[in-house]
Amino acid sequence: MIRQLSVFVENRPGSLMEITSLLSEAHVNIRAVATFDTPEFGILRLVVDKPAEAKGYLTERGYVVSIHEVMGVELEDKKGNLNQMLAILAEGELNINYIYSFVIREEKAPVMVFNTDDYKKAAQILKGADVKIVEESDL
Amino acid sequence: MIWAKEETLPRVEIEAIQLERLKETVHYIYERVEPYRRKMDEAGVKPEDIESLDDLKKMPFTYKSDFRDHYPMGLFAVDKKELVRFHASSGTTGKPTVVGYTQNDLDMWLNNVARIACMGGATPEDVAQIAFGYGTFTGALGLHGGLEKLGASVIPMSSGNTKKQIMFMQDIGTTLLVATPSYALHLGEEIRARGLDPEKDLNVHIGLFGGEGMTEPMRDEMHKVWGEGFLCTQNYGMSELCGPGVAGECEKLCGMHINEDWFIAEVINPETGERLPAGERGELVITCLGKEALPLVRYRTGDLTRLFYEPCECGRTTARMENLSGRADDMLVIRGVNVFPTQIEEVLLQIPEIGPHYEIVVERKNRLDVMTISVELVDDRLLDSYGKLSELEQRIAKGLKAQLGLATRIKLVAPHSLQRFEGKAKRVTDLRKDGL
Repeated sequence: MIRQLSVFVENRPGSLMEITSLLSEAHVNIRAVATFDTPEFGILRLVVDKPAEAKGYLTERGYVVSIHEVMGVELEDKKGNLNQMLAILAEGELNINYIYSFVIREEKAPVMVFNTDDYKKAAQILKGADVKIVEESDL
Repeated sequence: MIWAKEETLPRVEIEAIQLERLKETVHYIYERVEPYRRKMDEAGVKPEDIESLDDLKKMPFTYKSDFRDHYPMGLFAVDKKELVRFHASSGTTGKPTVVGYTQNDLDMWLNNVARIACMGGATPEDVAQIAFGYGTFTGALGLHGGLEKLGASVIPMSSGNTKKQIMFMQDIGTTLLVATPSYALHLGEEIRARGLDPEKDLNVHIGLFGGEGMTEPMRDEMHKVWGEGFLCTQNYGMSELCGPGVAGECEKLCGMHINEDWFIAEVINPETGERLPAGERGELVITCLGKEALPLVRYRTGDLTRLFYEPCECGRTTARMENLSGRADDMLVIRGVNVFPTQIEEVLLQIPEIGPHYEIVVERKNRLDVMTISVELVDDRLLDSYGKLSELEQRIAKGLKAQLGLATRIKLVAPHSLQRFEGKAKRVTDLRKDGL
């Protein structure tokens, strides 16, 4: 499993930048980022190299931050691969609450992270279908 | 038409009635209501000390907080079994302000409302549609009973359900509308939006408005929407005093005539409590005369106004109070409902996921009041999903609805993003201008 930061942000100019600039100040490296818009607020989701430190740094500065686990899956960089993985989960009747991909992987294969209500079942299904699950130590 | 001869008495005769009833009232409360007796003893006033109307200023004030401190019936002067009616309005915090009536109180109240309806042009031929919310508020049942006493026929519609309101107006032929002025404007615009012209297609030609103040720009707007011939007046009251029926405008529209044989009006400086001369603006203080269940002496209404004593062209000699020009406290009137920020605060403090700071913004959209309350999110466990955050918003709105009886919009904001105050907080921004 991969630890993910969730940060409450208001929907206004500069609110994301304030967080990224604090993280860069704290020498935290962002590996994946996602946000979904609602009219008034959003939840910024991040995978970073030092989640605990990042949470501490942001919390001290007045942000509401939590750490959750999400599942990471390594894809092969070829057509239809994401679709294939989603089909496996759909067949297993697993609901994906949200999904996003890594920003930079240098020369490694692309990684998708997703949130679901039943990680145990997800792991079982994906392993059964030979999909590679990525752990934090692999990143 | 003038309903009662007491509305046209020479000043000396009105004052003679007031003095006689005031003396009785002061004896009555001293004998029967313990919190009054205690206050009077503390102030060193005995009932015998009240020998003239001017002596009223020796009496201690009664505050809305007295209702809270003696909740629910500590200010009542009669046993519960003598009551025939209860009403309640919002209190400054969680508990409502409970009021009660004996049969005599009810008769006196509804007679006073009949006077006000008469001042506003109502006649026994009218078909009156009451678009105030029914329930424990005094507005709907007060106008309802007063108009029946006058001989008009009443449609107890209650508020909302615009489609049905219009259907009754068309099918039954409503001639008189009772509503808050903002709802009347909203309704008029809805009627026009359906391609109807109120002047030609409907019979509504009288509006009796209350629950919130009506500014002159609102009255102008009312004529644009309902037609130039629409006679719209406003009236004044509050449940503590009896409900509507304290004062109302006549067709001359030069202030609200106070039913002075039952209410003594004073205007004071809200800071010092000192009585101000006629024509000066200050807080309205009302003493109820002759009330049996819930006598009230020198009640601080919180409403700012001025008093005028010159007789009116309509023939009435009773004192007139000017259109309200604001509040001495932080009470808000939202869709005709009184709201105190302390009530909101009480609900918010019970929700651990949010912080203690809040901001209230009131706007008028499409003629209706919209109240948005911003609160700071503090609980990081809710960041799991949007579902949890929107569940929190709904839970806050539901708590406020139960407390205020009003729908509110909740806005979650980041911690520390709301302004902090040293000393008196300014948490309310009212963007309504002239009520439009």
